[in-house]
Amino acid sequence: MPSLRDTTLESPAPVRAVANALAAYIDRLGVIWVEGQVAQLSRRQGLATVFLTLRDPVADLSISVTCSRALFDGLNPPVVEGASIVIQAKPSFYATRGTLSLQARDIRTVGLGELLARIERRRQLLAAEGLFAAELKRRLPFLPHTVGLVTAPGSDAERDVVENARRRWPSVEVRVAAARMQGRDSAVEVIEALGRLDRDPEVDVIVIARGGGSVEDLLPFSDEALVRAVHRARTPVVSAIGHEADQPLLDLVADVRASTPTDAARRVVPDVAEETQRVASARDRMRTVLTGWVEREQHRLDAIRSRPAMADPRTLVDARIDELHALRDRARRTLRHRLDRASDDVRHHAARAAALSPLATLRRGYAVLQDPDGHVLTSVAGLAEGDPVSVRVADGRLHATTTRTEAATPLVEPEEEDTHE
Amino acid sequence: MSDQSDETEGLSYEAAREELVAVVAQLEAGGTSLEESLALWERGEKLARVCQGWLDGARKRLDAAIEADGD
Repeated sequence: MPSLRDTTLESPAPVRAVANALAAYIDRLGVIWVEGQVAQLSRRQGLATVFLTLRDPVADLSISVTCSRALFDGLNPPVVEGASIVIQAKPSFYATRGTLSLQARDIRTVGLGELLARIERRRQLLAAEGLFAAELKRRLPFLPHTVGLVTAPGSDAERDVVENARRRWPSVEVRVAAARMQGRDSAVEVIEALGRLDRDPEVDVIVIARGGGSVEDLLPFSDEALVRAVHRARTPVVSAIGHEADQPLLDLVADVRASTPTDAARRVVPDVAEETQRVASARDRMRTVLTGWVEREQHRLDAIRSRPAMADPRTLVDARIDELHALRDRARRTLRHRLDRASDDVRHHAARAAALSPLATLRRGYAVLQDPDGHVLTSVAGLAEGDPVSVRVADGRLHATTTRTEAATPLVEPEEEDTHE
Repeated sequence: MSDQSDETEGLSYEAAREELVAVVAQLEAGGTSLEESLALWERGEKLARVCQGWLDGARKRLDAAIEADGD
């Protein structure tokens, strides 16, 4: 058999050669374990084999699977559409129809425990990658412009979110992006809806809401692709899936986890009544603080101003006035005293002066002879005829000229030289 | 003593009140000359007026805010 690679226009390979080659290649894959979701299932009466299509849980790919009726019927729990299964199969190529399918040798339905275990493994994997890191969590906008809502159209979840949001903040706008919230294509649709809302500039928070359900129902919300999509989303995401107890991986990657759709509404939209009340009480508290402050300072200022030093400055001056009076009185007393002494002293001197004064002598007929220079002449010596002299008598002064001088015997000398008392 | 220029206008409430307390303490302690006491007293009065001005201003603004809110 020439190798198929050497075929040319002139010497093409017959179909059977190609078919056989393909069959050979595929056989080389051998027996493998494959995981997938049962998409279609056809189990017709009288046919020995059961046909089903196995879909990839994430990608939009599927492959047909054949298994013997005996194997299929023996399965417990029975395989139903939508169930996740793991099969041991050998990929084989049916030359007659040129189709490929997996010949299932063993089928294991993925049990609840297995499902949860699988989710747990996925959680650890994603956690290790840091997708659930706390620091990635973004704060929700206090008052969103538009709330994006990924939910099943017409569902209770939708009603809960929209009604509660509207009741809390009547003017809020909610933009719903419909997506199947259960079953086969749920994860894919949610991812697509999330993308649409994330790209919408007006939407500044996205809620993914769905009511309660079984583990299988909530399986799409632990879907790896969805978790990665939420991780990549620019807009903050609120996960509101199932009941309080449910914890799909979406809860871990979302920025905020709401326990229920109603709780989600409470978290994304403030309650207008509550907010107005809070603002009012803040304002009141500020006012009381401020009025209290002004009152207290006013009292303190009044206290200071009422202190005597400020209120009645006269006290300052009065003290000084009293001091002044005291000083003045003392001054006067001492002055009077001194004056008295002084006047005594003067009288005393006056008396003495009077006693010494020549006036009395002049009054008794004596006169004082003075030369023109005012010197007193006590002797005729030195005087010549025609010399002018002045004579001081009790009541005045005579001006005369010497006609003649005559010596005379001195009067009687008193015992001591100095003046008498 | 500080002069009587209008530099007291620039004083904050706390500064004015603090100086007022100091002035009163000094006056009450005595030992200042008559000239100084008078200057001190005048200074005290001026500071008190500044403080009162601040308090009246605060109360007026407060009442205005409350009343503005009222209607």
